[in-house]
Amino acid sequence: MSSEPRPRRPGPILAAPVPPPPEAPLPPVRTRERRPFLLDFFPLESSDQTRLSRFFDRLKEGRVSTTRCPKDGLLHWPPRTACPQCHSEELEWVDLPEVGHVYAFSAVLGGAPLGMEDEVPFAVGLVDLDGAPLRLFGRIEGRPWTELQIGSAVRLESFDIGDGRYFYRFRATDP
Amino acid sequence: MNVRDVALVGGTTTKFGVRPSTWAELAQEVGARLFREMPELRAEDVDSLFLGAAEPERFAFQSHVAPLAAEQMGLRPHRIIQRTELACASGQSAIRSAYAAIAAGLSDVAVAVGVEKMNLPSMAEANTSMACVMDRAWDGPHGATAPPFFAMVAQRHQLEYGTTEDQFAAVSEKNHRFANSNPEAQFHEKTFSREKLLRLPIVAPPLRLGDCSSMTDGAAAVVLVAADRAKKYTDTPAWIRGTGQYSDFHNLAHAGSLTEWTGLKHAAREAFGRAGVGPEAIDFAEVHDCFTVSEIIEYEMFGWCPPGQGGAFVADGQADIGGKVVVNPRGGLLGCGHPLGATGIAQAVEVYRQFARKAPPARTVPDPEWALVHNLSGSANVHSVMIYQGGSAA
Ligand SMILES: [Zn+2]
Repeated sequence: MSSEPRPRRPGPILAAPVPPPPEAPLPPVRTRERRPFLLDFFPLESSDQTRLSRFFDRLKEGRVSTTRCPKDGLLHWPPRTACPQCHSEELEWVDLPEVGHVYAFSAVLGGAPLGMEDEVPFAVGLVDLDGAPLRLFGRIEGRPWTELQIGSAVRLESFDIGDGRYFYRFRATDP
Repeated sequence: MNVRDVALVGGTTTKFGVRPSTWAELAQEVGARLFREMPELRAEDVDSLFLGAAEPERFAFQSHVAPLAAEQMGLRPHRIIQRTELACASGQSAIRSAYAAIAAGLSDVAVAVGVEKMNLPSMAEANTSMACVMDRAWDGPHGATAPPFFAMVAQRHQLEYGTTEDQFAAVSEKNHRFANSNPEAQFHEKTFSREKLLRLPIVAPPLRLGDCSSMTDGAAAVVLVAADRAKKYTDTPAWIRGTGQYSDFHNLAHAGSLTEWTGLKHAAREAFGRAGVGPEAIDFAEVHDCFTVSEIIEYEMFGWCPPGQGGAFVADGQADIGGKVVVNPRGGLLGCGHPLGATGIAQAVEVYRQFARKAPPARTVPDPEWALVHNLSGSANVHSVMIYQGGSAA
């Protein structure tokens, strides 16, 4: 079938890559699951479970990062272990911009998954990051959904989910 | 290699709804109905079974489901037995796989069955399972399920094209009205005027309860055969003439435009190309109205109306009997409910019934020759399309 190839996102535009990791592997982090894995949405973040543990380590430092392919410049989301374009496994880590603007949003007013029932209502949205060719999906905190607008400014932040693990989300800021 | 013609020669569904039945009991029920309604079908003739089932591991705590379904239905497949999983399109995937096997000469008589049990004592547990359809590790922790995603699609369609809540409600009113003449539909007995729909509570803004298909238990089955066997089972087969599929992305970061579904255009182009017809030839369509906005975008992507005009198209009655193309005469996912693995099969059952003139008058499509079935899955990241032609058995 004739189909034009999906347009690839352009190359890098971000801050300089962070320094390469230390030679010694990071010690495995013990995590305590609050619920069985198959009923828990947050990923297994430790280095004995994922090769992307550096992403979660950086979250603990307050940095939301991702991988980029030095070979073809493709910026990935989510972070990867192999480039989907050239299949190189030699990837570098870069920090994401902290500011973005809402492309679309909605809210969960009911029917939330396990562990999120007490958080209802909550807003979610797709956010264009300023200065990066990425549109990330995420929870939007800091303002009720009724006060959000397309174009609202948000900040990308990491947060402690309460059991030793970290994740990322958006926080609405003043326009 | 010669590709053989394949006919869909019959099928049935269970009642869809909140059923006091287990997964296995739904499979038994649809098997019993199938053999009762097709007395010429003998179990030993069925050489292959394709089972569409999206999440039995989550909803029924059961893997290895294809042989379980075969046993429930009283079948001993001896050529191909397999399960197809493509979330909301698992049922159509089973039909496509059966079609491919028969066309290639690996099967002569195949059953494609879809079974889904979704209503559990804990709805939070059921919602958790639904959220696994998305990219669980990255989108899931934010609370991504289908309603907020399609709500964003609706929001963008409103922003870009001025589509109104009343136009969303027009889709729901039409499909619920068709469901009133489908006794197997989950909402068979319920009537929904546009005014009533616009008063229902908001689930995920701007979508209201009536804009969303529901969690449904149900099963459906069809029989597909090689062309030379069709006459044994029916005088009014539905011939599979074209099929296409496209997988565009998975993580929501790669959704691109929320209102232009390029994956659907690709799948449709492939299916129309194989069938040798275009969208104007289609007399009726069973499309994936998981949400009202989905059906509106589907009119546009299939080419029944220009981009952005889907809302006006449905409000003007163009998707109704007497309009340009009859869309979802079965009652759609909105009226029938959406048991993930069974939906695509039940849509094909409707195609067979319309061609066989077995649909009740209130939803009868006048003199249909060409029909289209569409399923999206997940966040509209995958699209599956099949095109059928009515006609006599060879
Ligand atoms: Zn690369």
